[in-house]
Amino acid sequence: MISTSPDVLIVGAGAAGLAAAIALADAGVADIVVIDRDDAPGGLPRFCHHPGFGWEYAHYPRTGPGFARYMLNAADRPNIRILCKTTMISINAGPSVQIVGPETSYTELLPKAVILATGIRESNRGNLCVPGIRPERGIFTTGMLQQLVARRDGQLDQFRNLTVIGTEHVAFSALLTARHGGATVRHMIGCEHRIFSFPIMRLLAGVLAARIHLDTELLEIDGSSERVEALVVRQGGTTRRIACDGIVFSAGWTPETAAFVGSAVEVDPATGGIAIDQAMRSSLPGVFAAGNVLRPVESSGWAACEGRRAGQLAAKYLAGELSGVRGALHLRPGKGLKYVVPQYWDGPFVSPAGVEPLRPSARVAGDTKGALTLLSDSGREKLGKFQRLLQTRRINFSLAKQTLNSDAVIDVS
Amino acid sequence: MQFDIAIIGAGVVGTAIARDLSRFDLRVILLEARADFGDESSKGNSALMTAGFDTPRGTLERQLVTRGFIRYQTEAPAMGLPIRRVGALTLAWSDEQRAIVEHEVAGARADGFSSVTLLDGADVLRRWPHFSPGIQCAMWAPEECIADPFSTPYAYVLDAVANGVVYRPSFAVKRADRLTNGWRLEEAKGQAVTSRLVVNSGGLRADKVEGLAGYSDFVVRPRRGQYLVLDKAARSLHDVIALPTPTPTTRGILIAPTIFGNVIVGPTAEEVSDPDDRRTTPEGLAKLREAMHRMAPALEQFPVNTVFSGMRPATDRSEYQIIPRLSERWVTVAGIRSTGFSGALGIAEHVASLLVPLFVDARRKTTTNAIVVPDLAETSQRPWQDNARIEADPRYGEIICHCERVTRGEIENAMASRIPPRTLKALKRRTRAMFGRCQGFYCGARIDAIFNSGRNSEHT
Repeated sequence: MISTSPDVLIVGAGAAGLAAAIALADAGVADIVVIDRDDAPGGLPRFCHHPGFGWEYAHYPRTGPGFARYMLNAADRPNIRILCKTTMISINAGPSVQIVGPETSYTELLPKAVILATGIRESNRGNLCVPGIRPERGIFTTGMLQQLVARRDGQLDQFRNLTVIGTEHVAFSALLTARHGGATVRHMIGCEHRIFSFPIMRLLAGVLAARIHLDTELLEIDGSSERVEALVVRQGGTTRRIACDGIVFSAGWTPETAAFVGSAVEVDPATGGIAIDQAMRSSLPGVFAAGNVLRPVESSGWAACEGRRAGQLAAKYLAGELSGVRGALHLRPGKGLKYVVPQYWDGPFVSPAGVEPLRPSARVAGDTKGALTLLSDSGREKLGKFQRLLQTRRINFSLAKQTLNSDAVIDVS
Repeated sequence: MQFDIAIIGAGVVGTAIARDLSRFDLRVILLEARADFGDESSKGNSALMTAGFDTPRGTLERQLVTRGFIRYQTEAPAMGLPIRRVGALTLAWSDEQRAIVEHEVAGARADGFSSVTLLDGADVLRRWPHFSPGIQCAMWAPEECIADPFSTPYAYVLDAVANGVVYRPSFAVKRADRLTNGWRLEEAKGQAVTSRLVVNSGGLRADKVEGLAGYSDFVVRPRRGQYLVLDKAARSLHDVIALPTPTPTTRGILIAPTIFGNVIVGPTAEEVSDPDDRRTTPEGLAKLREAMHRMAPALEQFPVNTVFSGMRPATDRSEYQIIPRLSERWVTVAGIRSTGFSGALGIAEHVASLLVPLFVDARRKTTTNAIVVPDLAETSQRPWQDNARIEADPRYGEIICHCERVTRGEIENAMASRIPPRTLKALKRRTRAMFGRCQGFYCGARIDAIFNSGRNSEHT
């Protein structure tokens, strides 16, 4: 049985949660409990059987399952206890966390600190309100497809002709997953004028014989109550049917914050994720957050780096060297920016010794050219050089040299 | 085997008729064309359990819905079916609408719906500040309820089977031959059933079934209704059935809570030629968004979980098409429009009262077997909240569908039912699994695995 008042409770055993647990164990924290609602730890990378995982964290190329194994090996420590099939129901001031699982039943934990690393989910056909039929089978998200392939050991071969919606990195991951599962992707649909992943991914699509259709709008899914038969799209004023027997939505991400709706954990409408300050603190004192629950998807390596930093900061908090209360100054996105993380700032903040430096980041609302600029009570100050800014790329910047004494805005100028 | 009564169509009406007939010493068979019961009109509606005040005055429909509503209140709880009295508001924003609503209130009260009252617009906005400002008045029908549209036909069919009714899914009647002593019903592969009497509760296909027997009193005019399902967060703002003022042609698009904790916006009303054309359309979805914007713009902030279409089995006639051709041993129960869910138990009682006297030996059974279906209501105690249950069986502590908090125990129970789901969507309807905001992103593959292993063990 786990203790009901561990030093730290980490919610989510994916890249961020495991990295946080490892950092806490490195700092000598004695009783670390990680819960995960899935049947095994490791998070979504477990299901992504292709390379590209964990680079920023471990500086070594690994596949998704390879990175998950690497993290689980590193987290195999006597002071880390991972409990799967266990769901967080709610979280309140204290912090007090209500969980349920086969081993714990429905119970309350009173940890000294909490790190929320609940990850992310893809937008699906229903959320996107794509009209048309709703067949018994054949409509997926990439994540669901990956799990089907991983859990069934392949066997997607009844789908001969899949269409992928989206051109982000993950859409190309869907190409590889489909191939791994024995299915073929013939078409990829993007609503923008360029692919959102790296331009070189066009080559990958070419090698796998998937045609990319850009500037293309989804109109309707056609078929019967049993199966998908076609996707109806509009391209340059022309409506056409793309025959397919399955459709994979890989078209956007939503941080998994469902358990925080109506709770005291503030969610930023701009990111859809938990709003934090520069010390990864949420609006609930003693509750930190890290990884893809902070904003739409970043790589597993980036999420792990955030988790490690949250672990280091939570250890400082437990040692009495850091307040658990989130900074009160706002850092807001201004003209041209969709969001900024962190959203809050603690005026006199100095990153404690032994904690890796903060890497604030932002995204632009649309592709543009300009320089990130800080507007604070000390005036306007450029944070980077004038450059092309793409909505598909994270923009990193530093505030290490700046002192903020009041609310500030970051914009593109 | 020779049956006394064969019921064609296992929607909410057909299953309710089977359940009522199972109380008598009769050999009854329930035939369903699809793999699962309740898989056509009964699965796509607003799930309102209505007292009937807005059905046309003086009709059989009014009489049977009123009776069905009373029976449901009495009988549903014992079957485990949840029901929540949330009340319904019919809202008037203009002078013209005010006149109509005032007239409706007077009419409903004159018809004996004494709990119906007229509310002042300011009072409505004080209690429900999320509606558009400028409400002049509203009709308040406090007894209107929401219920579980999926578990209801499930309970009826389980109850019927537990009391001796034979249930045959995937039996699509393609031929009906008149015998001297009843009917012979044949499906596509040549399997046949003979019965002394037939009840055609074929819903969307009732006119086709009528045609097999040589009848053509009406034509089914399928009426499609599209819906938006808002995320559970919306429920904190919206807890009442809200209807616009009706026009002479339509009741309009309503906004209602669901028993599963969501809010739905719908239905549209579109006549379509193909009863299987359950598409959602850009135009239909735009109408729903427009209705939400007009009535309760505050709800626009909440994410949409999904969109779906239902199909109402309307006909070219305005009344229910309950045609008791008793001497010809063929009874038609069709044209149940949009009130089948509320009216089913009233319709069943009416049909049983017509049929049972024809069978002189058919005594009422002295004992009946009770059944209970899982209570899927969001506000009931769910298995994951029940520690005694989890300690006895840890599968109830393992949440598989996280959005709807459905446990492994519940999903495996559904697979092990006397009437197991034969499609993944039927499993969804039995458990709520994959109904939520992620639509299977997290749990789809695990549920697929449980479904497949359940199906395999059924075959071996």
